[in-house]
Amino acid sequence: MTQLLQYTVTGLSVGMVYALIALGFTLIWKSSRVANLALGQLVLISSWFTYSMLVQLKFPVWLGMICTILFAIVLGWIIERLTLRPLIGQPILSLIAVTLGLAYFLEGLVTVIWPVSIAKLPPLFPQEPVSIGTAVISQEYLWAAGISLFLFILLSLFFQFHKLGIAMRATADDQLAVQACAVPITRIFSMSWIFACIVAAIGGVLVSSIGGITNALVETGFKSFSVVILGGMDSFLGAMLAGPIIGLCENIGAGYLTGLIGPGIKDLIPFIIIIIVMLIKPYGLFGEERIERI
Amino acid sequence: MSLPCGIRNYSYNTDTAIIRTKTQWVLLALFLVLIFTIPAYSSGFQLGIFNLIGITIIAIIGLNILMGYCGQLSIGHAGFMAVGAYTTAILTTTFGWPFFAAFICSGISAGLIGLLFGMPSMRVKGFYLAITTIAAQFIIIWIINHWSDVTRGSMGMGVDAASIGPLKLNSEISQFYLIIGVTVLCVLFAANLARSRVGRAFIAVRDNDLAAEVMGINVFSYKLLAFFLGCFFAGIAGSLFAQWRGNITAEDFTFSQSILYVGILIIGGLGTSVGPILGVSTMGLLLYWLLPTVVMPSVESMNILPTGFSSGLAPMIFGAIMILSLVLEPRGLAHLWSLFKVSYRLWPFSY
Repeated sequence: MTQLLQYTVTGLSVGMVYALIALGFTLIWKSSRVANLALGQLVLISSWFTYSMLVQLKFPVWLGMICTILFAIVLGWIIERLTLRPLIGQPILSLIAVTLGLAYFLEGLVTVIWPVSIAKLPPLFPQEPVSIGTAVISQEYLWAAGISLFLFILLSLFFQFHKLGIAMRATADDQLAVQACAVPITRIFSMSWIFACIVAAIGGVLVSSIGGITNALVETGFKSFSVVILGGMDSFLGAMLAGPIIGLCENIGAGYLTGLIGPGIKDLIPFIIIIIVMLIKPYGLFGEERIERI
Repeated sequence: MSLPCGIRNYSYNTDTAIIRTKTQWVLLALFLVLIFTIPAYSSGFQLGIFNLIGITIIAIIGLNILMGYCGQLSIGHAGFMAVGAYTTAILTTTFGWPFFAAFICSGISAGLIGLLFGMPSMRVKGFYLAITTIAAQFIIIWIINHWSDVTRGSMGMGVDAASIGPLKLNSEISQFYLIIGVTVLCVLFAANLARSRVGRAFIAVRDNDLAAEVMGINVFSYKLLAFFLGCFFAGIAGSLFAQWRGNITAEDFTFSQSILYVGILIIGGLGTSVGPILGVSTMGLLLYWLLPTVVMPSVESMNILPTGFSSGLAPMIFGAIMILSLVLEPRGLAHLWSLFKVSYRLWPFSY
């Protein structure tokens, strides 16, 4: 029972971080119907940038964070301007493939600039663990979960009530109609990529302050895909609920199945969930099922 | 299909022929002679690169059937190749089968695994399917790494080179003839498949699956057929790779390998029969020869960045080429090639 509680608490808080990274995906999907497969690589590169700021240049934490956010803004703008903008109106295959190319490029770039493949960020949050009932959890996880929840509420409110957020949702629905209403859709795309990069950067800093910076961050990005798929691609609420579910499945599954199947089952569970969701309910828990007409 | 001036077709047979004029026959013969005499004027190292290019062409032809003709994006192709490679390794090493029996079985086993992961294509497409194939890639590689009784886990498996009767193909030259022979057959098969009823059905599914269904094409079964054929090619490519390399581990079939295949196909040109060949030839020479032997050592010796940075150069350059080709020439090198052919036919007139 103690074990179960421990797995539950860890799973829930790790899941919140997955959910945060998944929000970055949903943001872009909601506003431009582009599936960003370079999610993990965005997380990776912004974590490395933070590392440069905090460890190599020895900036204080607040300045480093500001630099990281600025970096994310510039990165998002450049990506949208150079790769996605020329492809507006192209078939979905090109849009997916271009983010794959981006993933490849960013991964190479990271290796070129930071050839050391493993690094550790200085501690950003208080270190002493907290005990919830009988379970013990390090504060970093709780901070990460809290920040994810905060950003989720912020983004939901933004998309629900802010003019730009509404314009973003409208753009996803019908680009031509939105253009006819004099909304500059290219700016909407830029903004959505910038937001997504900021979210990815925050997620990256949170994940890498817990587990260090390795190429495993890319896999964290893949795990977030399972969050996106389970929750439904265009639902923030879906991502926010699916994240903890994936985290729970992963941790409880790893806890109880490792003895039966063997080590490493933890990394497989999100992908098995993807396949199951695809076969049973492909549009996820809260996804909008699109009805197609010829 | 445009024909040179003065050439006319008088029967269905000539109208459907791939090769129509004497010039084309001569050029084809010259090209085949050139290909088959490559070993005479290249070193063992270069032959190794050509072998790898041949194997990759086979894999990309499979991806082209799946992605180029049928429009089903697969980002797990390296995983399906791994299925083929490991089938060959297990059948020849553990059970002592002859290579060619294992070769066919590899294709079939990869095809069946492909069918399994193609099942979701019944209900989803586009990005959802892409995610499913990513999951397939990771699940396959995970199983290979952890089912160590059969696959020996991360130790990898040794595979004997193929043999025809008493003749053992353990030199690069004999491997070259095996691989290039299979490649030529595969190219021929794919080119003909695209012109058949099946190929046209694939194209209809790709262009608009709802319209295709309304026209009486059984969309799901054709999608599954595309998955089977595409993964069959991946499987035989994996089989050839296993016996050529001699020792395989799951590290040979990573996710970045899968992205690489998608990129190569896009650079070459989706949905054309020359696309895979052009894409793999140019990108293979760049990635396997130019970058590792020429560019990387010279850049590394300049000492501008910390050591080891040049290993990131290849993915960076390839990613940039992939993005550029999508932005500037989404129809790939194959389109440039057809533009060249048209202007050649009309030369010296510009219209």
